[in-house]
Amino acid sequence: MSGGAAVRHGSGRGARAQVCRGAIVGAPLFAAIALFAGCAYGPPPDLRTGAGLNGAPRASAVAPNAPTAADQRVPAVPERDRVLVDYRAGVSALRAGNFDEARAYFDDAIVRIGGIITNDAEAARARTLFTAESNKPFIGEPYERVMAYYYRGILYWRDGQPDNARACFRSGQVIDSDPEQKNYDADYVLLDYLDGLASAKLQADGSDAWARAQAHAGAQVALPAYNPAANVLFFAEYGYGPRKYAAGQHGEMLRFHTEDSPTRSARLVLEDGRKIIPLPAYDDLGYQATTRGGRVMDHILGNKAYFKTGANIAGDAALAGAVIANDQARRRERQGKDGDDANLTAVGLGILGIIGKIASAATRTEADTRQWNNLPQRLSFAALKLPPGEHAGRLEFMDRDGNVLESRTQSVRFSVGADDRDTVVFLSELKR
Amino acid sequence: MNHPSRFLLAGLVASSAILAGCATSRGVQNPAGVPVTEMRPDERGFVAGTGIESQDLVSVTDKMARSILGIPQIARAQVPPSIVLDPVVNNTRFPINKDMFLTRIRVMLNSKAAGQVSFLDREMMKTLERERELKRSGQVTASADPNVVEFGGADFFLTGKLEGNTTKAAAGISDYVLYTFRLTDARTSRIVWEDFAEIKKQGLEDAAYR
Repeated sequence: MSGGAAVRHGSGRGARAQVCRGAIVGAPLFAAIALFAGCAYGPPPDLRTGAGLNGAPRASAVAPNAPTAADQRVPAVPERDRVLVDYRAGVSALRAGNFDEARAYFDDAIVRIGGIITNDAEAARARTLFTAESNKPFIGEPYERVMAYYYRGILYWRDGQPDNARACFRSGQVIDSDPEQKNYDADYVLLDYLDGLASAKLQADGSDAWARAQAHAGAQVALPAYNPAANVLFFAEYGYGPRKYAAGQHGEMLRFHTEDSPTRSARLVLEDGRKIIPLPAYDDLGYQATTRGGRVMDHILGNKAYFKTGANIAGDAALAGAVIANDQARRRERQGKDGDDANLTAVGLGILGIIGKIASAATRTEADTRQWNNLPQRLSFAALKLPPGEHAGRLEFMDRDGNVLESRTQSVRFSVGADDRDTVVFLSELKR
Repeated sequence: MNHPSRFLLAGLVASSAILAGCATSRGVQNPAGVPVTEMRPDERGFVAGTGIESQDLVSVTDKMARSILGIPQIARAQVPPSIVLDPVVNNTRFPINKDMFLTRIRVMLNSKAAGQVSFLDREMMKTLERERELKRSGQVTASADPNVVEFGGADFFLTGKLEGNTTKAAAGISDYVLYTFRLTDARTSRIVWEDFAEIKKQGLEDAAYR
């Protein structure tokens, strides 16, 4: 530093004053550089692409020794992102027809999200000023946790356990309930509808659950009555699910965006068009994500943002005071007066200012935007009685006017067993 | 204190503050992990929820096994009655391995009260039928006439039902589970024994997840 060289070669009071001035200016500068260099770090890796998990992939950040595609195929998964990986891989496996694999992923996730999380050190740290919310183990927002139970319920039903499937649908509805947001409390149509259907199949009364489902669906939608004799259950999904983003001055507000899918409904065409099974959208995850209400964590992040702004303003004020005090000291020294007190004041304010700026910069206010990014937007269901044997047909998706979106049509094949176990057919517009 | 020393001190303080601030945003809790802790199945672990857990299974099945042995149809039977297990129905919000309840009751009765009751292994029926056909066809040896029907019929069916009720409020979540088990006479359809256990749990999650 030039100030340091002046110390070695300079002599006398004037030279020493020059050193002090250089140091006063240099110390904050050095500290600021150290602050930004020391605190700079990127978001955790994107488990799909290797880019930032918290935001869009960062193509420009590719280092020369970046992992190859083969390396990325088996990414190291931080424990705090394990549930997120389970969610994504589980639904991909379900869509690919790898049911054992899907079951394993969702069981692993549900073990982690099914309990009451208390005294978790990382969650506690996520509430502190200097740790980001994304530091906590991910379990997802309610609509994400609901979907984990929904998919696991489908798998239970496929395994001939409608009561455990019903348990999953009920857990989903409990997760969606919010004591402070009664208007949108536990309002998934399908969760209640399937709860009642499972009860009806188990020779219990499903009418209450059906009535709740109908109330959620509204007057425009007439839910089909339960047919306990139906032996084939079609679970359909289409469109792309909600996206999270961080809003607010410091990214402290968690918000959701849903790009409305052109696919508004679907239908299954069997027996060369002689049998058409409508698959209307009963639930919309975009709606569910945006109507869940606020989180306690939003208040914590709001407080963090308040502190960040306050510390930054205080730091600015202290640094401005340091400049003024330093200027005063120089003026007094030019007049041949003692400027030590002013110098001390300048140093003190400078340190306070730096601490304020550091505290502000180190405060992590960003909302956790890790997300289950391969969820659908709309969910549908139909139950039908079909004879045992092989069945083939096509799945058609329709736009808002009921026109078939030809390019999205899929061929469907499934086999109905002769036993009394229900055949579960999972249909998705999404490929992975 | 002269000026260079003062500024050196200031720099040190500022650097310490910087490093301290940065240190809080990184770090791993329990980097070496938590050693495996062996626990009794009837003991509440440090990983807990409001759902059905091993300690509930143990306490409920212990109570049921003791209760079954006390009824006259079992305690005073001249011939040990044959019991068939019928799967438990789960009517709670917790997906569980339902078979564990009846399996533990059966094992408890077989190990602690051997001879007082006998259980018929209906899970093995397909295997047993195949074996009988092999004996009948002479492909394998038989110690008795394989054409005589010796598969036992049930005197009683043992089954159960798990019912649940959930309350969620700002103060937390509460789950009540009612475990009922019953023994039904296969001939008369009368319920000859029934007992229950009930467990209620509640908790409140970390604010980071609310």
